[in-house]
Amino acid sequence: MNAPAATATILLIEDEQQIRRYVRAVIEAEGATVIEAETLRLGLRMAGEAHPDLVVLDLGLPDGDGQTFINDLRHWSDTPILVLSARTLEREKIAALDAGADDYLSKPFGAGELRARLRALLRRWRSHNETPPPQVCFGTIEVDFSRRLVQKNGVVVSLTPLEYRLLAALVAQPGKVLTQRTLLRKVWGPSHVESGHYLRVYVGKLRQKLEDDPTRPRFFQTETGIGYRFCHEESMC
Amino acid sequence: MLPGRIGAVFNIPGVRIMSAPHTDTQISPPRRALWHDGSLALAACGVTTLIATPLREILDQANIIMLFLLTVLLVAVRLGRQAAIIASLASVLLFDVFFVPPRFSLSVDNVQYLITFAVMLAVSLITTELTTGLKRQAEEARRRGTQDRALYDLARQLADVMEEAEARKRVQAFARKHVSAELLFLSAAGHGDTASVAPFHVETPLAKMALLSGKTIYGSVLSEPGFATFYVPMPGDPDGILACMLPADRRDPPAPDEVALIEALASLVAGARARIVAMRTAQHNEIEAATERLRASILSALSHDLRTPLTVLAGLADTLSIAPVAAAPAPTWVQETAAEIRTQTQRLIDLMSKLLDMARLYAGSIRLHREWQPLEEVVGSSLQLLGSALAQHKVDVVLPPDLPLLRFDAVLMERVLCNLLENAAKYAPTGSTIVLSAEESDEDVIIRVRDAGPGFALKGKEDVFALFVRAEPPVYASATPGVGMGLAICRAIVQAHGGTIAIETSEKPGGCVRFTLPKGVPPLLEDEAPLADEVTR
Repeated sequence: MNAPAATATILLIEDEQQIRRYVRAVIEAEGATVIEAETLRLGLRMAGEAHPDLVVLDLGLPDGDGQTFINDLRHWSDTPILVLSARTLEREKIAALDAGADDYLSKPFGAGELRARLRALLRRWRSHNETPPPQVCFGTIEVDFSRRLVQKNGVVVSLTPLEYRLLAALVAQPGKVLTQRTLLRKVWGPSHVESGHYLRVYVGKLRQKLEDDPTRPRFFQTETGIGYRFCHEESMC
Repeated sequence: MLPGRIGAVFNIPGVRIMSAPHTDTQISPPRRALWHDGSLALAACGVTTLIATPLREILDQANIIMLFLLTVLLVAVRLGRQAAIIASLASVLLFDVFFVPPRFSLSVDNVQYLITFAVMLAVSLITTELTTGLKRQAEEARRRGTQDRALYDLARQLADVMEEAEARKRVQAFARKHVSAELLFLSAAGHGDTASVAPFHVETPLAKMALLSGKTIYGSVLSEPGFATFYVPMPGDPDGILACMLPADRRDPPAPDEVALIEALASLVAGARARIVAMRTAQHNEIEAATERLRASILSALSHDLRTPLTVLAGLADTLSIAPVAAAPAPTWVQETAAEIRTQTQRLIDLMSKLLDMARLYAGSIRLHREWQPLEEVVGSSLQLLGSALAQHKVDVVLPPDLPLLRFDAVLMERVLCNLLENAAKYAPTGSTIVLSAEESDEDVIIRVRDAGPGFALKGKEDVFALFVRAEPPVYASATPGVGMGLAICRAIVQAHGGTIAIETSEKPGGCVRFTLPKGVPPLLEDEAPLADEVTR
C-alpha cells in the first residue's frame, strides 16, 4: 500500500476542530497514526515526548507564532514539518520554509494535495540516511550524476555548469518545495540570495532544454511567490 | 516708491473688510475744549477765595497759600495740565488781590511778597507737572495692564481656535480695539482668497524686504496716508507678512512698544497656525491609521472565518471519495455526489478569493512584490492552477522566445491571467481554442487573451472592467456563473503595474482582452564562463 505512511506517527497541531477531523481522516486513510495538539505549547511538548515522524503545523495558531515553534523544534529535531497557511500569506510561508519547515499547503486545500505532501515528506524521511541514487529518471529524461550525463529521449543534452547545479539541487529533493532563497544559496552562493531573476531565468532554461512543453512544465513546477518543486511522479505534486 | 498692487504679487488670505474708524477707546484722553477746563479752574480758585476771605483774620497767610496750592493740586488731578497752569496763575493773582495788603489791588506793600508769589507759582507749576505726569503714567500703566490682560486672553482664546481665519480675525479685532491699528495678513505663496477690499495699500517691495530680512520694516516716511505703517514678517512662516497701519491722523512714528505688540500678535497668529496644522496632521494620521487597522482586522477575520469552513467542506468532499484502507470503495452515486460537492465548494472558494482580492485591492493601496522574471513562468503556473477549468478547451500559448524579462508581482499577475483565461473558458464554446499571446513593442509588452466566444457586447465596452458588470446579458439556460469581479480585479492589478487593459476588437470573431506591462530596463545577466560543452558530455 502506501509504504512511507504505514506505521508512521504524525503530530497535528491545529486549533480548528473541524480541520483536525478532516486532516486526521486523510492521514488515517493512509494508514498512519495521528496525535493532536491544539496549541503550540502542547504541540512542542508532544513532539518531545512522542518523537513523531512528521509534524503538520497550522501557522495561524492563537497562542503563538508558528515560526517560534519551528525554530524551537529545529534545535533538537530534523522531523519534517508541513505548514498550513492561508492562501495569500506568502511571506509567512517563505519565512516558515526558510526557518526549517519542509513544505506547505495553502488553505483551502484538497485531500489529494494533502496526501501528496504527506507521502513525499514521509518518503524522504525514510531515506534520510541513504545517499541519493546516482541515477534519476523522469519522463523521457535520464540523469546520471556519477558521469554528469543528462539525456532526453536518448539524446545528450548539454547544460552549463549553473544549469547542472540547479538541476542537481532540484532533483535531490523530489516533491518538496524549495524556496528561492534556498536554491540561490545552493547554486549561486550565499551572496546571491537576492538575485531572484537569475534563478527564474535559469529554471526557464532548464525547462526549455528538458521539458516537452516549457510553458506547461511537468517536472519543474513553479510555486508562485515561494519557489520551485521538482515532481517526477504525477501523484507527487 | 511706487506702491504695489495688491493681488499682483501677493495673494491675501483673510482680507479684512473695510472698517470704520473706532472712537471709543483712544490712547490720549478726550480733548475737551480748553476754555471749558479753564473756566472750571478759575471757578475752583474763586471758590477757594470765597472760602478763605471770611477766614482771613483767623488763618495765617501761609495757610491761605496752602489752600490755594491744594486747589491747584486738585485742579491738576481732575482737569489736567493746562487747567492747572491757569489755576496756578489765577491762584497767585487772587492771593495777591484778595489776601495781600493792600487788598483789591495788584500792588504789594512788602517786596518780600514777590518772592512769595514766585515760589507759590513755582510750587504750583511743579505740583501740576508732577501730578499730571503721575496721572499720565498711572493711565499708561492701567492701559498697559488692560492691554496685557487682553493679550493673555487673546493668547488663551487662540489656543482653542480651530481655524486659521478665526485666529486672524480675532487678532485683527484686538489690534483695532487696543491700538487702533488695522492689520492685514499677506502671503507671498499665492494661496488664499483673492483680494477683495483691503483697508489700506501695501508697498510690495517693503513687504518683500521684511520677508527676506526677517525684521520689521517701516513704511517710508514720505508715503501718503493710506499706506501701511510697518511690515512684520510672520515667525515660522516662510511666506507670511503682517502689515500694520496705525491711525492716519497720527503724526508721530510708531512707538517701540506698539511695534512690539504687533510683533507679539504676529507670533500669536503664527503659533496658532502651527498648532492647527499639527493638530490636523495628527488627526489625519490617526484616522488613516485607525482605518487601516480596521480594514486589516476585518479582512483577516473574514479571511479566516470563510477559509476554515471552506477547507473543511472541500476536504470532507474529498474524503468521501477516498476509501479508508480496509473499507470497500463507496458506491458510484456517493462518489458522484462527493465530486459535485467538491466542484461547488471550489466555486465558493474561488468566489471568496475574488471577494477578498477585491477588498484588498479596492480598499487600500496594493503592496506589489515586483521582481524581474520571464512571462513564460507565470503563464505556466496560471495554466497549472486552472487545471481542469480549461479541460474543455484547447489553449495555445504564443510567446516570442526573446521576450525580455518583465518586472511584476507573480502572485498578482497569476490572478490576472487566471481571471482572463477563466472568462475565456466560460464564454467560449466547448472544444474551441483560447490563444494567449504576447508581443513586444517599443515601450511595453502586449499580452492578449483571445477566445472564440461571442465576444464582448459593443456598447458599454468601458464598463466591462467596472465592478459587478458582466459583459453580456446573462444566459440563464447555460449556467455561466460569475459575479463580474474578475475583470475589475484584472484592471486594478494591471494599472498598479503601470499598464493598461482594454477590450480589443478586430475583424476576427470572438472576445479579446489586451493588456500591457511596461518594459523598463531589465537587469543584465552575466554570461557563464565558456566551459558549457565540457560540463556534460
